[in-house]
Amino acid sequence: MNQYLFGRGRARWLPFLLLIPGLLAYIIIALGPSIATSVFSLTDATGVPNIPVNWIGLENYNEFLFRGLASRDNLDALTRTLIFMIAVTTIQFTLGLVVALLLNQGLKGTRFFRTLFFMPVILGVAIQGLIWSLFLYPQGGPMANFLGLFGVQSEFLGGQPNEAFFWVIFVQIWANMGITMVIFLAGLQTVPAELYEVAQIDGANGWQRFRNVTWPLITPVVNTNLLLNIIGSLQAWQLFLVLTGYKAGTQVLGYLVFAEGFGQTTGSVSSSFRQGYAAAASMVLFALVLLIGLTAQYLLNRREQRLGY
Amino acid sequence: MNTLTTSKDQITPVQSANKRDTRKINWWRIVGYVTLLIFGILYLGPLLMLVSTSLKTLPEFFKSATGLPTSLNLNNFVDAWEQANFARLLINSVIYTAVSTTLYIITAIFVAFPIARGLVRGHKLIFTLFVIALFLPPALIPQFQLILRLGLYNNPVGYILFFLINPIGIIILVGYLRTLPKELDESAAMDGCSYFRFVWQIVIPLARPAIATVVVLHAIGIWNELILPTIYLTSKEYYPVTRGLIVFQGVYGSNWPTLAAAVLILTLPMLILFLFLQRYIISGLTAGAVKG
Repeated sequence: MNQYLFGRGRARWLPFLLLIPGLLAYIIIALGPSIATSVFSLTDATGVPNIPVNWIGLENYNEFLFRGLASRDNLDALTRTLIFMIAVTTIQFTLGLVVALLLNQGLKGTRFFRTLFFMPVILGVAIQGLIWSLFLYPQGGPMANFLGLFGVQSEFLGGQPNEAFFWVIFVQIWANMGITMVIFLAGLQTVPAELYEVAQIDGANGWQRFRNVTWPLITPVVNTNLLLNIIGSLQAWQLFLVLTGYKAGTQVLGYLVFAEGFGQTTGSVSSSFRQGYAAAASMVLFALVLLIGLTAQYLLNRREQRLGY
Repeated sequence: MNTLTTSKDQITPVQSANKRDTRKINWWRIVGYVTLLIFGILYLGPLLMLVSTSLKTLPEFFKSATGLPTSLNLNNFVDAWEQANFARLLINSVIYTAVSTTLYIITAIFVAFPIARGLVRGHKLIFTLFVIALFLPPALIPQFQLILRLGLYNNPVGYILFFLINPIGIIILVGYLRTLPKELDESAAMDGCSYFRFVWQIVIPLARPAIATVVVLHAIGIWNELILPTIYLTSKEYYPVTRGLIVFQGVYGSNWPTLAAAVLILTLPMLILFLFLQRYIISGLTAGAVKG
């Protein structure tokens, strides 16, 4: 602890006293409940107060993973969460990088395009979802007309589960590509221009310059983006709520937790909501995030060290 | 990858650019512009569709969803405004956002400053508590049980509680406050300035860039929050705009012109605000990303 300059005796406690409200709020509202999720996952808690809560051990997990048709649906949701994560991460990462490289070329209108691509992030999930519900209007909407030019027909969000799932991935990427893009742009701006000139003199072509100059030098933002995309897409589900609702064959784990704990589209207090079970489901999601997130972090760190960061 | 090759030609030193090179540069530039344009259509198109639809009558929309409106028809906006009670929704959202952001930022500074300066015992541990928040499981269920037992279900006070915290904001603030020179503390203390007055009158003004970023990010998060009001606010009179919009969609789902007008009314303030606050948002999101 550093030497305290602002008075002695009781005045010494002032920083601590003033820190308490913020810290306490955080522990009571976020940290505590977060940890308590594991405790609730071992009970049969429901969505109403004043009903006795019983310990049922690992029963929720057993049921979630192994019992009956529901568990098969749950495992499907788990697989779907992984597919969603892989699709969103790879596409959003690639598009974000391509767009950032383009916007880093000093083309005209760069600022306009940067603002435009970032805009959905500000609008938030409700407006993003509603805007795309309209754009994907199946009877003669813009996307339906465009695809019609190629003889493709789609019911979009109201179509088959796989079709609806595809379009949610599409909107998810549309909505969040801007974040990936601005982080890449920040990284690209740290690459010194002289290095390109040197590479140019050495006769490196465009791809070689990207591979050997840009790519290694933007390692920190590559890692940040990969981790943010992986963890973000594993936990994302709000667009499903707005675009498709709790539709069979499109559920991901995050939505499953909400649906089991609070109802499918609106929250309410009901004894039919199985919050203990939902807590177990969110622990499964947490395990997934931890496993994949830490593995990714480990691999990325190793790569960073190899490159001398 | 066209885009990558673009960079090659861009960086070609001017001295070596002969006529052939110049033509080539233009060609790759065109590929770059075309790519940007395609993305531009995907990002602007949905907004234009929203505007176009909001100006149509319902029969017009059913006849041709994509066609341009034939006349300037503002009835949809009047309808949407009256039917959805937008004034109420907007006031609610403004209150939730303003009250909780103010409370949050004040408490956050008094958390972040002693951590940045190491003024309290266990400051490293306290900081770690905020950092691990990014990896912890979602707390939805225990939070709900807590609010229910506190009797704060369907209560704006209970709702606001959730926005008094934002670990990322603390991390950004600590990072910034560490860059403030320690000589400040010394000379202020020498002049007999108290701790509270020092933070309030000297640290806060100096940390304005970081505070602005955190305030903007936090406020946008509250304004756009959809899940928490869905869970915790069941009475119409407490709805923020997000929840109001989704409920409105449930009722007017097939009446796209009115719904589009409603969405537009609530999108415009955000868009305008965004144009002004863009740099704070982007600097907040990229803080720390560059250094890893």
